[in-house]
Amino acid sequence: MNTVARNNSEADTSLVCSLPADRGIYRFVNRLEDITLSLILLCMILLSCTQIFLRTFLSSGFLWADPLLRYLVLWSGLLGAVAATGQGKHIALDVLNRQIPEAIAPWLSLVTHMFCCLVSAGLAWAGIVFIQGEFEFGSTGPLSLPLWFWNSIFPVAFGLITVKYLFLSFLQLQQIFQLKNVQG
Amino acid sequence: MSLLKVIIFALALLRTPLFLVIAALALISFYTADIDISVVIIEMSRLADTPLLVSLPLFIFAGVLLSESTAPRRMLHFSQLFLGWLPGGLAVVSLLVCAIFTAFTGASGVTIFALGGLLLPALLADGYEEQFSMGLITSSGSLGLLFPPSLPLILYGVIAEARIDHLFLAGILPGLCMLALLAGYSIIKSGPVQKKRHYTKQNFTAGLREIAWELPLPFLLIGGIYGGILIPSEAAAVTALYVLVIEAFIHRDIKFSQLLPIMSKSMVLFGGILVILAASMASTNFLIDQEVPTRLFEYIQNYIDSKYSFLLLLNLFLLLVGAMLDIFSALVLIVPLILPIANGYGIDPIHLGIIFLTNLQIGYCTPPVGLNLFLASYRFEKPVTELYKSTLPFLGLLLITLVIITYFPLLSSVLISLFG
Repeated sequence: MNTVARNNSEADTSLVCSLPADRGIYRFVNRLEDITLSLILLCMILLSCTQIFLRTFLSSGFLWADPLLRYLVLWSGLLGAVAATGQGKHIALDVLNRQIPEAIAPWLSLVTHMFCCLVSAGLAWAGIVFIQGEFEFGSTGPLSLPLWFWNSIFPVAFGLITVKYLFLSFLQLQQIFQLKNVQG
Repeated sequence: MSLLKVIIFALALLRTPLFLVIAALALISFYTADIDISVVIIEMSRLADTPLLVSLPLFIFAGVLLSESTAPRRMLHFSQLFLGWLPGGLAVVSLLVCAIFTAFTGASGVTIFALGGLLLPALLADGYEEQFSMGLITSSGSLGLLFPPSLPLILYGVIAEARIDHLFLAGILPGLCMLALLAGYSIIKSGPVQKKRHYTKQNFTAGLREIAWELPLPFLLIGGIYGGILIPSEAAAVTALYVLVIEAFIHRDIKFSQLLPIMSKSMVLFGGILVILAASMASTNFLIDQEVPTRLFEYIQNYIDSKYSFLLLLNLFLLLVGAMLDIFSALVLIVPLILPIANGYGIDPIHLGIIFLTNLQIGYCTPPVGLNLFLASYRFEKPVTELYKSTLPFLGLLLITLVIITYFPLLSSVLISLFG
């Protein structure tokens, strides 16, 4: 995964690639994400292994376990993507960055963050429309909870990603003005 | 609208997350075609109907856990004890350990970072040339992608809707062929320079005891799947639980305080892959709706009528893709387009998967932009141009295996017909 490769170019402090991990609200959010993701992962492992145990030794199993497992995978992945956004760990091409002059790099970074914000907002909106449809006509999913509940992770996750890109854009803008002040 | 798409492509080159680039194109395409944009999410939600998907986060977790533990060091020590006496011993050991390690972690970056630091000094101390040693590690950083339970293999299975147990079988002989060629070259290159070590019986038992818990893992996994006890996604759960128990409770390599960040890190890695997969579900749907693969096939057919020349062209194209894109995005973006075309030429999807992965693996160490070259240059603090030179002979050998794998489909299919 090429996230490792990018660390060497992140030494440049004029670019904001991730949210700070140890300050106030960010710290709390990080902790919350760590715990949520770990819990879902543990659930997946235990649920899967329980199913195997029940089937092999008692020839039984829970009917709801497999569909539940599939939604947990979706939840863990989408919430993992929310966390990846704050940590700047999304898979991306890194082709042009070495050639960009230092003066405009922070501005370009601002533009990409704002673009990301816009697209994830679009996805969140599409998610809301989708959930509205599910709400009206949808059926029941695992644990007798309606499908719209299980699928609501789409607008929620993309919404959170939007918020994170908003923060990233804001921090990048702040960085640009700070740099200007130092130079001025 | 096409101007907008050009701008988006430009942004893609500026480190914009790939999933948002693909999602943006999908949103725009559906919107301009007057289709409700909620279709994008409907397509993504189809991921919940993919039972195989669960094996991805679980294998990723097992891989991250293994690479954070001291298992790589113990694995290396053990293989050195048992294979170190062979001609070219340490070089062959390095190849084997890298291959197994990559199969379990699925990420070439992890292999170079986790094992490179251990292997390079050991190789140099054993009298191997620096250029040879660096080339060996750089090119074996992605060796093992064809062995089960490698993540790219599973991801291909998910995208192509191919049987994962067949893919696992199909990769074994091509992978071994690659390993054998590289090992042969290493043996020739090593000559008599290396020092001979003497080991006592105590050494052997100590080494065996050290690795005793990890050693059964590959057998457990393969035996479980082909013994008909476990389906691949269950094998992933068993592997994850097993690795968790041995590294956290038996070896105690991983403290409880480390466990939370490791679990979260694995899910972040998985999240990065899942959103690309999700976004490409939407964009692929649009492309298929617009009959793009069919039209591409008709277009190509005007110029190429034989399966073999198509394969040659495919190899060239994929090598280029492999050098530019990381393996997960490459699979997610290219497979849905190529699969119907390859089908038209009568290429088996399983064989196609092996060709895909071999190409992408080689692309990783192809100059000028192969990712392994940059990782190794960063890890060993050497200019990238020096690594171009040292990887070249290995690259040549890998290309020979590529030809063998592409034009002898039997290599990928014989195990399936025997055990599948």
